[in-house]
Amino acid sequence: MKKQRIALEGIGLQLGYSQEGVRKPLLEDLNFQLVAGELICLLGPNGVGKSTLIKAILGEITPWEGQLLLEQKPLSSYSIQDRAKHIAVVLTDPIYPGNLTVGQLIALGRTPHTNWLGHLGEEDRAIVEKALADTHIGYLRDARLGELSDGQRQKAMIARALAQDGAVIVLDEPTAHLDLVNRLEIMSLLREISGSQGKAILVVTHDLDIALETADRFWILNCGCPLLAGNPEDLVLSGQIQALFPSDRYRFNVARGRVEWSQEGPDFQIEGPAEQAYWVKKALVKAGITFLDQTLVITEPFGLRLGEKTFGTLEELIGEFKQG
Amino acid sequence: MSFRRYLFPLTFLLFGMSFLLNLSMGSVWIPPAEMVEGIVSGTWTKNSWEQIILHYRLPKAMVAILAGIGLSVSGLQMQTFFRNPLAGPYVLGISSGAGLGVALLMLAGAAFGISLTGLNSWAIAGAGILGAGSLLALVTLVAWRVKDSMTLLIVGLMVGSAVSAVVAVLSFFSGAEALKLYTVWSMGSLGALTWSQVSILGLLILIGTLPIVGSIKSYNALLMGETYARSMGIPTTILRWWMIGSAGILAGGITAFCGPIAFLGIAVPHLARMTWKSADHRVLFPGSAALGASLLLLCDAFSHFPGWASSLPINAVTSLIGAPLVISLILKKNFSKDF
Repeated sequence: MKKQRIALEGIGLQLGYSQEGVRKPLLEDLNFQLVAGELICLLGPNGVGKSTLIKAILGEITPWEGQLLLEQKPLSSYSIQDRAKHIAVVLTDPIYPGNLTVGQLIALGRTPHTNWLGHLGEEDRAIVEKALADTHIGYLRDARLGELSDGQRQKAMIARALAQDGAVIVLDEPTAHLDLVNRLEIMSLLREISGSQGKAILVVTHDLDIALETADRFWILNCGCPLLAGNPEDLVLSGQIQALFPSDRYRFNVARGRVEWSQEGPDFQIEGPAEQAYWVKKALVKAGITFLDQTLVITEPFGLRLGEKTFGTLEELIGEFKQG
Repeated sequence: MSFRRYLFPLTFLLFGMSFLLNLSMGSVWIPPAEMVEGIVSGTWTKNSWEQIILHYRLPKAMVAILAGIGLSVSGLQMQTFFRNPLAGPYVLGISSGAGLGVALLMLAGAAFGISLTGLNSWAIAGAGILGAGSLLALVTLVAWRVKDSMTLLIVGLMVGSAVSAVVAVLSFFSGAEALKLYTVWSMGSLGALTWSQVSILGLLILIGTLPIVGSIKSYNALLMGETYARSMGIPTTILRWWMIGSAGILAGGITAFCGPIAFLGIAVPHLARMTWKSADHRVLFPGSAALGASLLLLCDAFSHFPGWASSLPINAVTSLIGAPLVISLILKKNFSKDF
């Protein structure tokens, strides 16, 4: 087995914020390891302390207890500039320097490496070009940030973090307010980068299904519980993934790999292929139909038969119930 | 895009022409060709011209250049630091301190037996610098406690308003003579300085501009906001002290010597952004400096139109010329997108 290189390690961390001098701890006795070459998704409900953890990793706040080790050395022993050479970040804060071109934005990633004027040497320019190529946005080099779509801008931000050339990249909800295809693209891009360039990438996300597709490891944070880390599929099979859903109303459907209403719903008599019956039942439950006095038959090609009546679509069937 | 390469040479051409026009304009029109000949060779067509140029118009033009550079560069710095398109050199309230110093001297001075007729430009500049210095100390104290830059901006604006209120109270209780004197001062003037004062102003501008030039890379990183800048290794807390010091010296110094000069510090950085269509401070700082100097030279030239017995107050002219200029540019281009 290949030896794992730990890029960032947290040991017994206590994190939180002070309010009028009173310490409010959010996370206690937190232990984790960020391994090079892995894409890690951090999941957990709002307010559980994900952003606080990110702030601590960025050095914006200092842990009250415990230690953060960056490449085996305490994070606090790094100067702000040295830290920037190891950790890059993509934040949720929107930025609007509309006049900046994508190329210039990515070049800003070289800030910790360049001289006082920010002059780009040959090596810096090569790294910027590589970041453009790795994120597949070479065609956007001269486009201005104000002209980009949200998905393109997010790729440019990832390219900027890549150009910073650290071992660790932290992204705070990089797929928020993106469309489905862009969310998939961004996450598979991150997976590509972590695998091919040996970077440790930590992504805070709420997209459970896309995270399941792409992550090497899950970190699940929950109020009052220790950090749950593990291979995503292990967590699914062991049922530990349910930790994400503290209320009984939702549960993770292991067979379908998705979150569902946990209520079983009425027991309809539906005859037909299981896959189609699943969706038919779903539609009926959503429409508030609680009782079918007869067996509902799914016909081939798709149609529905209830007693004497036939329906071409679910909409027709539901319409019938609504009328009376 | 290739025409942008000629923008800097063009701007310097504009600057040179503004400089010559500024020297030629006045109650006596002195043709630029003969003026250049006089300065270069030392022999003047008319004796009076030598006096006018060397002892009045040349120092005035130098002040216009220095103040134009200082205010524009400081304005650009503040807009990027606070990520606010309305920020300018005066937002920290330090220049109001200069105004307060001068007001205390002119309005309250009479109560302490300082005669108005005895006030020379040294006393006024000295009072302005003392006032700006005390406000700089106050803002520094506040900045020590406040971590958030938006809070600092609000505190600065509040302090500025409070200081203006003190000046208003002073004005209310002062005599007509003193009030007139202060009102005239508050309209700004570039021409009242001797060569030795010009060199002190020059030194102040140099000292105030150096920390900005040294932080060009930091300001580029700050385009993305403070958290990103720190994540890229920019020590924003240290940068803040440089920013306060530089804004204090530039805005405070210029206000102390010339009175408040409105508008330039906010407008010129936007003009530079629109002209160069860039966000790079390696372009914007020199660009703003050149545009700011040219614009103030032109405004001053306009305020001394040939044939007019007296000149218009510079503070009014900058706003009168600047406001329509910027409004027309804003309407033509999408302003907020460019910022």
